[in-house]
Amino acid sequence: MVRFFLLFLALQAALFGAELSPWVQTYFVIPWTNQLASISAYLVTLFDPNVVATGKVLRHAVNGFAVSIEAGCNGVEATIVLLAAILAFPAPWKNKVIGLLAGTVAVQGLNVVRVISLFYLGQWDFQVFEWAHLYVWQALIMLDVLIVWLVWVRTLPKTQGSDGRKPPPGSAGLRGSAGAPAPAPS
Amino acid sequence: MSEAADVLPASRPVARFVLKTLAWLPPSFAVWYFGAPVLLWPAIALVRLVARVGLPDLVRTVEQSGAVCVFATTLKPGQALALSGNITVDVNTLLYAFGLPLYVALVLAAREPGWQRKLALGYVVIIPFVAWGVLADFLKNVAITSGQFVASQTGFSPLQNELIAFAFQFGSLILPTVVPAVAWVLMHRRFLEALREPGLRAG
Repeated sequence: MVRFFLLFLALQAALFGAELSPWVQTYFVIPWTNQLASISAYLVTLFDPNVVATGKVLRHAVNGFAVSIEAGCNGVEATIVLLAAILAFPAPWKNKVIGLLAGTVAVQGLNVVRVISLFYLGQWDFQVFEWAHLYVWQALIMLDVLIVWLVWVRTLPKTQGSDGRKPPPGSAGLRGSAGAPAPAPS
Repeated sequence: MSEAADVLPASRPVARFVLKTLAWLPPSFAVWYFGAPVLLWPAIALVRLVARVGLPDLVRTVEQSGAVCVFATTLKPGQALALSGNITVDVNTLLYAFGLPLYVALVLAAREPGWQRKLALGYVVIIPFVAWGVLADFLKNVAITSGQFVASQTGFSPLQNELIAFAFQFGSLILPTVVPAVAWVLMHRRFLEALREPGLRAG
């Protein structure tokens, strides 16, 4: 558990530092944020044709209300946390890859719901928008990350280490150093 | 609080846990919001202590106004004589403390033995990171976003400004949500083991 925790922190700091670099911002974060606005606009136009996306801005063409998707609302940080948690946890690489792909879709999927909901909350009541934007959705997205990780951990084979072999006692899983010796793989 | 979760079979412990957490979130947020002046007092006291020790030339006083942390600085807003007052910076402490209700909802949803102790311990763990966010927000305001004249008075080097920017980004985008989640995971290892083991009851 200690190893997982330290690795998680190190990976997260490294990934977050990389995210802030100009290169990653230019070639990944900004294009992804623009794409997120486009995806949100596409989904919204299925029931409200007056919505357009321009860059990272989602705008209502009739009443002029617009939201700009900024850092923290593009789901990148939440995805980084999930990536770090999955990569740091002792598991076979196949499970990690599946977890990374499915988990990223789950986190970004909920983030699209966040963007669309905030777009309409803002048109309805700005105070409610602020509350949902600054506090509630932040917590819900992190809860989503935690749940995705829990579900992923439940899918793991219970006796294997990251290399697919039986781990030494207490070196893998959630019990940490106090854990009992792991049973042999079936 | 968990009637909806109780209709799910024990074979779906994650779904039960999620429903319980979602049920606990609204009351947790309500207590957090209305109790913020009291709940966040220790974070602001910590900010005051750090400012007094580490930034005595920059910060004159740190006051609390509800959930807002008010920094009275030694910085001048402009060169004109008419602008002879000092700058104050308001930071909304709630922006860095929304992990508290999330943590409370997670603990109450898991409801392990000793959950009261886990609540108290989590609070102690989270409060310093709230202080981090508030302090980094203040420093970002005076050193980066307040303009050249004010920033030049702080005396921070370009490297220090970079560190302040990183501390602010990390303290606002990562720490407020990750710290409660990590604290919860570390304090609920048995619960997590039970989630993985069929036959053991979790949630």
